[in-house]
Amino acid sequence: MKLKWRKLIILIPLTFLILFFYIPILSIIHEGFWDRDNGFTLKYIFSILLNSYHRHIIIFTIEQALASTLLTLFLGLPGAYIFAKYEFPGKKIIRAFLTVPFVMPSIMVALGFLLLFGKEGFFTKLFGDWGILYSWKAILIAHAFYNFPIVIRMVSALWQRINPHYEEMAMSLGARGFTLFRKVTLPMLMPAIFASAMLTFVFCFLSFSIPLILGGYHYATIEVDIFMLIMTLLDFKTGSALAVIQIALSFIFMYLYIKSLDEYSKAEEQKIFRKTKKLTVRELAGIKGLLIGFYSLIVFMFVISPLLAVIYDSLMYNGHFSVEWYRRVFSPHYNPIFGATTLTAIRNSILFGFGTILLSTTIALIVAYSLHRWNFRGKNIFDALVMLPLGSSAVTLGLGYIKAFHTTPLYRTWLIIVLAHTVIAYPFVLRAISAVLRKIKPNLSEAAVSLGANEWKAFLKVELPLALGGIIVGAIFAFAMSIAELGATYMLYSPEYTTITIAVYRFLGSRQFGSASALSVILMVISGISFMIIERIGEEVW
Amino acid sequence: MVEVELWEIMKEWEDFKLSIKYLRVKDREFLTLLGPSGCGKTTTLRIIAGFEKPESGKIIFNGKVVNDVPPYRRNIGIVFQDYALFPHMTVFKNVAFGLEMRKTPKDEVERRVNQVLELVGLKGLENRYPEQLSGGQQQRVALARALVIEPELLLLDEPLSNLDAKIRERLRGEIRRIQRELGITTIYVTHDQEEAMAISDRIAVMNVGTIEQVGKPLELYYNPRTEFVARFLGLSNILELQSDGEKACLGSLCFKTEKAGKVRIFFRPESVHLKEGSDAKIMGYELLPGRIRLRLEVEGHVIIAERFLNELPFTPEKIPKKTGIEVKSFVLL
Repeated sequence: MKLKWRKLIILIPLTFLILFFYIPILSIIHEGFWDRDNGFTLKYIFSILLNSYHRHIIIFTIEQALASTLLTLFLGLPGAYIFAKYEFPGKKIIRAFLTVPFVMPSIMVALGFLLLFGKEGFFTKLFGDWGILYSWKAILIAHAFYNFPIVIRMVSALWQRINPHYEEMAMSLGARGFTLFRKVTLPMLMPAIFASAMLTFVFCFLSFSIPLILGGYHYATIEVDIFMLIMTLLDFKTGSALAVIQIALSFIFMYLYIKSLDEYSKAEEQKIFRKTKKLTVRELAGIKGLLIGFYSLIVFMFVISPLLAVIYDSLMYNGHFSVEWYRRVFSPHYNPIFGATTLTAIRNSILFGFGTILLSTTIALIVAYSLHRWNFRGKNIFDALVMLPLGSSAVTLGLGYIKAFHTTPLYRTWLIIVLAHTVIAYPFVLRAISAVLRKIKPNLSEAAVSLGANEWKAFLKVELPLALGGIIVGAIFAFAMSIAELGATYMLYSPEYTTITIAVYRFLGSRQFGSASALSVILMVISGISFMIIERIGEEVW
Repeated sequence: MVEVELWEIMKEWEDFKLSIKYLRVKDREFLTLLGPSGCGKTTTLRIIAGFEKPESGKIIFNGKVVNDVPPYRRNIGIVFQDYALFPHMTVFKNVAFGLEMRKTPKDEVERRVNQVLELVGLKGLENRYPEQLSGGQQQRVALARALVIEPELLLLDEPLSNLDAKIRERLRGEIRRIQRELGITTIYVTHDQEEAMAISDRIAVMNVGTIEQVGKPLELYYNPRTEFVARFLGLSNILELQSDGEKACLGSLCFKTEKAGKVRIFFRPESVHLKEGSDAKIMGYELLPGRIRLRLEVEGHVIIAERFLNELPFTPEKIPKKTGIEVKSFVLL
């Protein structure tokens, strides 16, 4: 009986998600489908589908997500091969570099690409103007930056687990070279390729900051379109209808992703773990080493160049090195736009970040634990309910919060921002914690219980310490997502709750690139600390 | 078919060394590599298959050195312990794989796959996927897949160890039947001495990277050359006694030997016969189906005896404290 009471703890995350995810989403659906006078209506949905501008945006959103996914696969798959097969000097460093995109705020990365590909940009000066900025090309490149580490991680992890017997078997039967790869290896890799591609697709479909800043007016995505409809046109009806279409599409994609993830985890359960081949000095000097070196260089340049561009720009004032931009960022004279000082913004970002850590890890830990350890009636429904937030977008959530809470005292408080950040970050925290909990064998806690610990003690003394690495990684994800969040925060904040990210966006909006860069460097330093903590923990994050 | 020879094979790891002076597998022979886990038997098989390269030594197929011939040109069929059935292909596709690699015409693929599936008793399961098959059926698919390409050499790496005892016994008989039918040279790796005895023409017993003895099953069983071989193939009695140049005695139990000094006498439990008398104390016994295994003590030495129940000089219901014994055959180690 005691045990049953304990299981009621799942009501905490459930209540949270219903209040702060499902009710806002439902209020958007209500707004999109109901009219004050006529009740249920499809008028607003049709008005979007019949409008060529919105239709174009929906199609473009899907197209850019598809193209971004292909580019991401193209960049990531060679890396997956190299990582799965070979051991070479510098592998650890490259691996660490691949974690960088996970923690770097997209507004800063977008700014980096803006500076690289702009008229005066490094890339433009070196290779000429390819018309990358304010076009689909810039969006694709930035999306690839964020997602190619996912492809490398998932595909190489599965590749290492393919039992070498399959390939040897095929070889003894006469297969070799490309035929061997196409007939045997590739089909076995498909779950990983498909799952990582689906995840990339979902991210690119819901991406906000990158198309907002790099795409310009002409290359808006659904997310940007909703944002504009709500924030500049104040057209809540059309905005909600578009959000409904986005929710419907993203749930379909999410469903496909979760299905593909099932296949992936099934394939990944293989106990075999293939040793990587240590390359000899001769091989390193040969064509293999050359190709690996070339790929590593590209990864390195790709990851580091937007960051370097931002740092460089923040230190350049009128063509010479100076800390003038930093002075201006902190000086009240140059800082009239956001009704708060930079120091307040930094304090807000950090506070929201910690608030998000606290809420999202608590909820994710309860959810992860109950999913992995308990069986109860309705577990399938519970499973679906807790997974769906992954398919929601920041702007839609912001809109939902406005609709659901604008009459409550919660509105325009710091708490509502933290709540939004928590819902956005929570699926990622859940993923990190689930990954470690899955690795802890249930019989460890059973052993503890058999030795006299109660279930709670067993959890505290055995499982929690073992899961700690994953929980910390999850917490850092939460922090990184919170300080990087732009869409929902922008829709919900009032001036005293300005964050660094919003400040950067404001500076960009007033074309003050130098100040935006300087502030981005501060953002980068904070993210860099997150990155180093993840590295120190050494838990597999990617 | 093919005759396989290994000459002076050497391969070294940090903590293990494989070193085979010479091994010959005769044409059409069924040879088993037998040994405890970690003795190098699977590595030896993989070297013969070409998945691993020795640091030195020669691998010879029919008089030709094949060290540099890749696995897909050695014309071998191989079955792994875990079968390695391609999970994304049906039974038919799995078996047809090798033929497709050889660009065999479609109708011939169909004919040969059906033929081999019939040979292993799997007709009718062509369209199943590996996960829909029982362990025994998967094993047969693996065998069919190895055989359909008509290899000259069949390599089996513990093919039965993932199956339960009954199916294992039936399948080993079938493997033997198919091997005889096709007359294919076969190398079989196992750690199960009963399986090795039941199935092999000859057995090579391996221990920590070397071959201890090669011979026919009974030859190894009754005339082991080392204590390791003696002990690995079954229960053994090894007595260390002093010989006067004519005989070595343990109480009234004497063994004729021309060697003087310390000798090691080896004999199997079934060579110990029981008779009326009181040479040995009965320390304990175990009843087996139709048989009895007794732990006897003579002058402080333990001797294990195994007899059919109807050969006992007393009734099994009433085991006495002492019995007379006689060792009918023995060898010196």
